[in-house]
Amino acid sequence: MKKPLFVLALLLAQLGWAADSKPDLHPVADPKPILAALEQKMAALNSVYLEFTQERQLKLFAAPLKSEGVMLIDRPGLIRWETSSPYQSIMLGNQKSVAQFEFTNGKWNKLKLGFSQALKQVMDQMTLMHQGKLDALTSDYTISVATGAVTVVTLVPKDENIRSLLAALEIHFPSDLATIQAVVMREPGDDYTRITFKREIRNPKYPANTFDQAKPLDLATIKATVTKSP
Amino acid sequence: MNPVPILTDAALRRRISNAALLALTLLGGMVGCATTPKSQLQIPPQTFPADALITQRGVLTVFGGRQFTLNGYLATSATNGQRLVLTENFGSVLADVLLTPDGQAHVMKSSRAFKPKWIERYIAADVRCLLGLGGADCPGQQLAPDRFAITRRWYQLEVQTVNITPGLQPAETFVPPKSESR
Repeated sequence: MKKPLFVLALLLAQLGWAADSKPDLHPVADPKPILAALEQKMAALNSVYLEFTQERQLKLFAAPLKSEGVMLIDRPGLIRWETSSPYQSIMLGNQKSVAQFEFTNGKWNKLKLGFSQALKQVMDQMTLMHQGKLDALTSDYTISVATGAVTVVTLVPKDENIRSLLAALEIHFPSDLATIQAVVMREPGDDYTRITFKREIRNPKYPANTFDQAKPLDLATIKATVTKSP
Repeated sequence: MNPVPILTDAALRRRISNAALLALTLLGGMVGCATTPKSQLQIPPQTFPADALITQRGVLTVFGGRQFTLNGYLATSATNGQRLVLTENFGSVLADVLLTPDGQAHVMKSSRAFKPKWIERYIAADVRCLLGLGGADCPGQQLAPDRFAITRRWYQLEVQTVNITPGLQPAETFVPPKSESR
């Protein structure tokens, strides 16, 4: 009687392991056709509203460190990354500049950003990813693609210094490449950050000042507007 | 030809009085600096549980006014010390430091943003201040029940506690490295 239970436990453990690890994926020899298809799919997207959960998995801590927020993208090159929990912060980017606001003492305060060029580069790359323009990142990353139940595009930084912080960046798409499901930032070692996009609204019409770098519109008003968009 | 400026008595008196006012202002400022004691951050006892994982959000203002946001994950143990992991907005670790009960700071990870010496000298000291263990070297103040500011010569750090999960943290969190190159 004990043996079948043991076998079952072993089987369940294996299934559990499989669920935690990557799904059955097969590397693609030439990623270019998939990247081209991806760009074509994403070209139809003028704007996007995404709600995300960010989980920071540090092997040091038993439970992942979680945060939640939204990412808004509009053409041309506008991005708003807002963390709403456990703290409140807004990062805004356009083709020329970035700005950051922190909610402290009951009000939004604009920061005098240090290293704003580095932040701008990150925001620009996020915009390119969500426009499917991964080819534009080939100067900074080595890109590979694996397919299976999902499609995973893996970007490995070419710069050794950056690689010492970020071993790889994985972008997970459904097999029809219609949207980004998740982004995983892997660090050297076992630590990683996983950003899972939960709710997506395609081509919303954003109200004025959504991306304003002097006085951005509050998120509640934006949410109310985009959820009413036809 | 440029006209030669001619100082009338009235203009001269105005200049002298402006200069005197400036000198007095500067002197006043210097006297103020010399006599006003710096306020010390005093954390009330039991602000944080002895065993917990504390999540904090910080805004670091450095010389010249430039600002950076940081996330701090602080594991505390009643018996084994404290461990702080400091990350930037998107999760990359900028600093990782372990404070052991013998008073030592062990730099577990540094970065280009925070060099080991800086972590040892300032970040470790600030952790002690925020936990009420810093003694007299905690120039700063409590801004709200969950917000603190530490103001040192080179920077100001404003920290907000955003989450506290009480409970014992894994013992391996507080194990110092076997060998440290200094």
